[in-house]
This record gives sequence, structure tokens and C-alpha cells, in this order.
Amino acid sequence: MRAAAPAGSARPARPLPGGTRLVRLHAISRRVPAAVAAIAACALGLRLALIGHWDSYGALQLPLVFEAASAMAITITTASPLGEPERAGGRWLPFLRLASAMMLTAAAAAALAAAGTGAHLAGGPLDVLRNVAGMTGIGLLCAAALGGGLAWAGPAGYLVAGAYALYTQWHGPALTTPWIWPARPPHDLGAAICAGLVFAGGIAVISVRGARDRADE
Amino acid sequence: MNVEISGLTRRFGRTTAVAGVDLQAGPGVLGLLGPNGAGKTSLLRVMATVVPPTSGRLRLLGRDPGQYGPRREIRRRLGYLPQNLGYYPGFTVAEFVEYFALLKEMPAARVPAAVAAAVERVELGGKAKARLRTLSGGMLRRAGIAQAIVNEPELLLLDEPTAGLDPEQRVAFRGLLRHLGQRATVVVSTHLVEDVGAACARVALMDRGEIVFHGTPADLTARGQGHGIGDAPLERGYSAVISAARS
Amino acid sequence: MTAPRVPATARRRPATRRSGLASARLLRLELRHNAMLWMLPVAVALFWFTTYRKTMAMPPLWNLRAANMQSGALADFITPVVGAAAWMGSREARRHTTDLVTITARPRWARLLTTWAATTGWAIAGCLGCLAVLYTVTARQAGWGGPLWWPAAVVAASLAALSAIGFAAGTLVPGRLTAPLAAVAAFFMLALSTELIVGSQSYWQISPLVTGPWDAGPNAGVGTFYPYLPDLSIAQAMFLAGLTIAVLAALALPRGSGGRRLRAAAAAACAGGLVAAGTAVALAGTGKLDAHGMIAIPALHDAANDRPIRFSPVCSQTAIPVCLNPAYASYLPAVAAALKPVLHEIAGLPGAPVRISQAAVTYQQGAGNSVGASLAGPPVSGRPPVYHLLLPDQLPGPVTTVSELAAAARLTAGPAILASVMGDGPGASQAQHAVTAALVMAAGLPPHGIPPAADGQPGTPPEVTPGSPAYAAAQRFAALPASARHAWLVRHLTALRAGRVTLAQLP
Repeated sequence: MRAAAPAGSARPARPLPGGTRLVRLHAISRRVPAAVAAIAACALGLRLALIGHWDSYGALQLPLVFEAASAMAITITTASPLGEPERAGGRWLPFLRLASAMMLTAAAAAALAAAGTGAHLAGGPLDVLRNVAGMTGIGLLCAAALGGGLAWAGPAGYLVAGAYALYTQWHGPALTTPWIWPARPPHDLGAAICAGLVFAGGIAVISVRGARDRADE
Repeated sequence: MNVEISGLTRRFGRTTAVAGVDLQAGPGVLGLLGPNGAGKTSLLRVMATVVPPTSGRLRLLGRDPGQYGPRREIRRRLGYLPQNLGYYPGFTVAEFVEYFALLKEMPAARVPAAVAAAVERVELGGKAKARLRTLSGGMLRRAGIAQAIVNEPELLLLDEPTAGLDPEQRVAFRGLLRHLGQRATVVVSTHLVEDVGAACARVALMDRGEIVFHGTPADLTARGQGHGIGDAPLERGYSAVISAARS
Repeated sequence: MTAPRVPATARRRPATRRSGLASARLLRLELRHNAMLWMLPVAVALFWFTTYRKTMAMPPLWNLRAANMQSGALADFITPVVGAAAWMGSREARRHTTDLVTITARPRWARLLTTWAATTGWAIAGCLGCLAVLYTVTARQAGWGGPLWWPAAVVAASLAALSAIGFAAGTLVPGRLTAPLAAVAAFFMLALSTELIVGSQSYWQISPLVTGPWDAGPNAGVGTFYPYLPDLSIAQAMFLAGLTIAVLAALALPRGSGGRRLRAAAAAACAGGLVAAGTAVALAGTGKLDAHGMIAIPALHDAANDRPIRFSPVCSQTAIPVCLNPAYASYLPAVAAALKPVLHEIAGLPGAPVRISQAAVTYQQGAGNSVGASLAGPPVSGRPPVYHLLLPDQLPGPVTTVSELAAAARLTAGPAILASVMGDGPGASQAQHAVTAALVMAAGLPPHGIPPAADGQPGTPPEVTPGSPAYAAAQRFAALPASARHAWLVRHLTALRAGRVTLAQLP
């Protein structure tokens, strides 16, 4: 192996600060760009879907589908392809996981809320924030138990339960438990607390432990 | 001859991984040496019918792998261990080997005995029912060797087969290679010249996509006398040939 | 590594042929290590939470429960099945075994088909297990009829198609995001398909979520007097089978998936599957709501299904027997008890019906997705007269509990029966209005008329306004002892019906 740096080469660009580089590399390793693209696609899909007329419970179920898809995309980013070398690497990993999950959740809620602005988004931005945060929390908890690859099963199952609960608001008996928060009104405190608790629990677990490590993935 | 290669070239985009290689091999063990990026893995992948050649002539086991029917016949008689072994973590060792035995279209009735024999040959009999995710790196490598030899192939291609094996296992593996080479053509790609010296009847050395040496280990050793760098005669022969090829 | 203790077999063995045993062994391996096994608990939990509980709350009518099961089971299983199938389709890329499996002799398509079959097998087994529980419980509760198998067939065919679509997505795009996004997209498309249904001649009713006129929902009035029509189910099964074949055959088209003959056969199968699916869609577009509440597709229709079902009604032991179709036997005690006060008032009167007999409903397609329902003939017919009753659940609307149904029957059928005996209705005399209203009050029913929305029975009497002379006469008549009322009616009912009795002549 030879030394590099031939004479007369151009001066290299000024490197980014170490923290920024670490965040960027962590994001790339977790496929965050792909997740952001998926979230953007969900927002675009919601916007296009809202062009049509959706009646009664369909109007509430429609955003829930895109909220669930966004939550699944966030969940996928918990899977680490690096395994043990990363875990042995140092103290920044929990903060990176925390920041990644929080920022993606915020981005998803903002994107979907923006997509509904000016359109007939049933439930409004509060509903979007609660549902995205809650389902992301479910996904994060599943990631800790099953690994990042299969964690989407939690939000996928919850989507069906939430859609059914919305249906029962029109064809009773209505399901009113706050643990199925999509069926509760946007300003319902109990539902917000439940979704918040699940999100907080998921964030805490994934930050401290990370997704279940399947180093062969 | 089980392997007949003439003017074979393989490109990946703008990179020429294999450049005009000529090679013939019959029964016996052929070692394939070369530095990183020399094209050994690419050549092995072409011979394993994973990817087709970009140009040139290739015949394996007397057949043209460019045709579907002959290619399928070749694959029934082929064993391949890639450099990066993929596996299904939930499978047991026996299931993993059985899976590939069935995919190689071995007669179903013969599969259980063949799997047991292959697993024993790589000394994983005690781990036959262990899940792959529980195995060490060396054991995984041996499981990979087992799937490659389960169908008693006539053409066996091994890419870095001894990676992760301890010295005792490497000695045993060389013995297995010599035994397999009595009836089959075995091509072993490796960085470990001592493996080549101990097990291979012939050696080919690749550099920058070309074969720069083809002969016996003794011939390679002779090339290194007074010229090469290394602690062992074969290493000196290796470095001498590479240096000459690059000068 | 050791030299072999088993002598090596002959070097030059003949070409090995695939055998059924080898395929079975491969399938067994795939079944033991399939992601669908992990997804089944999710799907079963969803089935219990959304479909089973709701279905069990419905009356034990096979048509009702089977229709709800079909829609519900599909919604519950779609995301786990599509997601698991996509996960399995991407397995070779995720596990980096592509090179290893590529160099094996078995054609790529055959290898993929085995993995798909294992995934689909678990999905169908899990779903049919759930269905078996639901049908077994229903069999113990239902008094008549038997399991409807076409809805189960549609569900099974749907799971095969969904699994094929998910598997193809995973194979073609083996990324980490494929499984979840494919699952959500499938759920969205299935839900979207029903939003586009307008009327009963819509191509979109090919969606396997649809079991009849879409917005009418599962209806207790169908499949009891006339056979359950399999027309739409047949079209749906044809569509799903065609789709499954087309998608799976498409996996064999790329080079390296198999030999030339296999790929040619796959191309033909793909085309055939698409033609079958397209034909099924076209057939669904020709369907229309028949008089018995189901979608009839002319090209698939069996005229034998237009003949009424022969049955022996179940009857109550009341003064005037209430007789229901045996499918509704579980309703009989509650309905008879609800109508008893009314029947007590008219039993033995001249011209009173000798029997209250449940009748079939005639359905009509309205504007958009609305469905109308009514009695096929007059409410009273025959000599001696029989009153033809419609239960509220036979009409389009939400499914009710037995007690809710009995209460609704009391409110709608009770006044209508009284009015038919008194000859009350538009053009009747004030005395007829008053006597009918009096009997309504005496039977404990609301005296101020029935809200139009709840009035499903024909011949409901006009409202008698409080404060009017007729209302005062009704109150006087209702205040009489029951025996006195009955005795007066025995003597004067014929004249009352002829319009020869005035308000002043009422006691």
C-alpha cells in the first residue's frame, strides 16, 4: 500500500464538523433518506387522494392509511446493518437513535398535515400528530422485540384495528377506548395521553436498547 | 477437461474484471491466487454460471453453459462456495444443506444420506440440528462447504473456503480437497499460499483480470528464487510473478 | 474434515429428474421457516377483535354471518399476508443467497413458487381455521340452513391472489420498505375499490369485499326465502384465480427463470390469467340486483336458484299464531311476545287473520347505491285471511339484536295488523281511525303514530291528532275493559269496516 497525495493536487474541501458527519453517516446507515422519500410519497398520496370525495368513516380512514405507512417507514430505520461493532463503538448511539426517531416522526406529522392543508382533512393536524406518533411508538416497540425488519407488523395490524374502530362510529356499537386513538376526536385528552405514552415508551426503548439486533440482516 | 476457457472476458460497467483469460483444468485441485481485485471472484462466478461471460468461450463439463438445458445439467454437477456466504439464520445446518441438495435436483430418496455424509465430512455432525444463527464464523464456513459438496460435484468452486477455520480444520480441509480432487475438478480461490502448496496440483495466478502464471506449485516456487519477497518459497514465487507482471 | 466413510457413487449419473418427493421436501422446509407463521398471530388477533365479535353479535343467520365473515376476514388478513409474502419474496436478496441459489439446477420460477406456496398455505390455513371456528359456533346456534361455502372460497382465493401480489412485489423490489408499503398499498386499494361502486351494475363489485349490494351491507333478508346466489362469488373467484395465475406466471418470464418452453408456457398462462380476470370484471359489470336481494349475473346465473326454498315455518302458540321462516326461529319467542298484546285484541274477531306469516321481501335498486325493499304482494291475502309480516331485519339497514328487532316489529307491525283488521287507512272513516288508535293504545303502543323512518310495514294507519274528536273517541274506547271492547267489535266490526259507524256511535 502506497502513501497518497500526489504533488500539486487541489486543496481538499473543508470537512464538515465531526458531529454533523456522524449524524449524516448514521442517517445513511439507517436508510433515513429512503424513509424520508417514502414519507414524502405518503404526503403526496394523501394530497392526491383528498381531491376525491370521501364520505363518513372513509374520510377518517383515508388519512389513517397514510399515517400508518409513514409510521412503518420510520420503523424500518431502526434496523442496524452494522451489529456489534456499532454497539461497541461509543456513547453517541442512544442520542442518534433518539434524534432520528423524533425528527422523522415530526417530519412525517408535518408533511401529512401540510398535505391536508386547504383540503378536507378529517381530524386535522392534531389528529395526524397523535396518530403518527402513536403508531410510530407501536412500531418502535415492535422493533425492540422483533427487530427492525419485521417491526412494521405492529403498525400494519393497528391500521386495521383503527380503521375498524372508525367504522364502528357509524355502525355501532362504537369502540371508544382511548387505546384505539384514531377513533377518538382530535381533542380527546385520553386518546392523546395513550398515544403519547406509547410513543414515549417506544422512543425510550429504542434509544436505550435499539432494535433487536439481527446482525445477519 | 472439465473446464475449458478461451479468451474469456467479463466486464461490469466500465470495469474489466476478467480480461481474456485462457484456462483448462481436468480432475485435480487448481489453486487460484492473486491480489485483491485481481478478478479471482469474478472468474469463479463466471465458472459457477452465476454471471455469463461478456465475451470468449467457456465450456464446463463438456457443455456450453450459454444454453439453458446444458447449463442446468452443469448445475446438477456443480458445487459453489461464494466468498460472502449468504444463509438463512433460522435453518439448521442439516436443513441448509438439504435445501441446496434439493435445489440441485438430487434424487429425493438419496438426499438424507447425502446430507448426513456432507455434514460429517465437514465435522459438523454434532451441530447438524443447530440453527445457523448460533454458529461461529468458522462453523458457518464449514456449513457452506457442506452445501457445496453434498451432491458430490464434478466441478467444485470454492472462494476463500478456509476463511475463519482454525489451523487444525485447515489441515483437515486440505485433506478433503485432495480427496475430492481425485475425481472432480476443484478450483480454490485463496490468499493463503500454504493452502495452495499443500492441496493443489496446479496453480494459476491472476492479476488485473489476467492469468499471469499457470503451472505447478514447484514452478511457482522456482520463479521466486532470488527474486521474490516473502517468508515462504511460494510467497516469494507469488511476489516475483506479480512484480514481473506489473513491470 | 474427514475422508468419506461412504463410498462415492458413480461419477457419471444420469440427469436427475425433479420428483414430487423432492418438491414436497422443499415445501416442508419452506413451511417450517416462513414469515407468515409470525404474522398469523397478528391476523388471528385482528380477526377476533374486528370480525368474530361483530359476527357473533349478529343473529345466527348463515347468510348474514357468512357475508360479514367474507368482508371482515379479508380486511383482517390483507396486511399480514401481503407484508409476509413481500418479505419472503425479498428473502434471497436480504440474505445474500442469490448467487448460491442461482447456480442450482432447479428453475428459479419453481424455487420461487415453492416459497410462495408455503406462504399462501399458512395464510389460508390460518384464515380457514378462523372460519371454521366461526362456522362451528354458528352451526350450534342456527336453527336452519347450513354453511355457505362460496364466501369461504372467495376468501381463500383472495388470500392466494394477495400473497401472489405481495410476493411479486418483494421479488421485483427486494428492499426493506417493500413489505410494509406493499401491505398498506394493498389495504388502501381494497378499500378504495368499494368507494367507486355505484349501483348494482358496477365493475368494481368484483372486489372480494363485496357480498351483495354494497351500501346495503350484510342483509338478514337474503338467502332465506330464496337460495343464496353464487353468481357474484363465482365472478370474484374467477377474477382472483386469473389474477393469481397472471402474477405468478409473470415471475417466470425473465431470462434465467426457466427454459424456453417454461417461459413460453408462462407467457401463455399470464395472458390467460389476465383474460380470465378481465372477463370476470366484465361479468360483474353485467350483474344487477335481483328481486331477492342478491347480485345476479346473467351469464353465470342458474335458473334453479330463482325457485323459492321449501321450508316448514316455525309458529308460536299465541291466540293468532305467528309463523316465521325457520332461519329466523331464534326470533320467534321475542316477536311473538312483542305482538301478543296486539293479537289479543283481534283474536276471534270476524275477518281477523288466522295467522301472522313472515313473507319474503322484494328488493329494488334505487338511485346511486340506495336499495328499496317492500312486500311482494298485499299485506293480507287468502281465505281465511293471513297477514304477511316483514321483520325489520329483512329490510336494508343496520343489523339489530333480537330484542331490538322485536321492539321494532311491535312498533311497526303491531299498528299495521290492527289497521288491516279495522280496514283503516287512507280514505277510511273517522271511526275506523279512532278504533285503530284505541287498540294501539290498549296494546301499549305509542298513540301518536310511527316516525316515517321506522315505518317499514305496509298499511301503517294514519296518525290520529291529539285533541281531535277522533282522538277523544279513541281514548274513550281504549278505556273500556278489554272484554267490552272485544264484545263491541265482534258485533260491529263488519259495519265499521264498511264505514257505517260514526264517532258518536263508538262506546
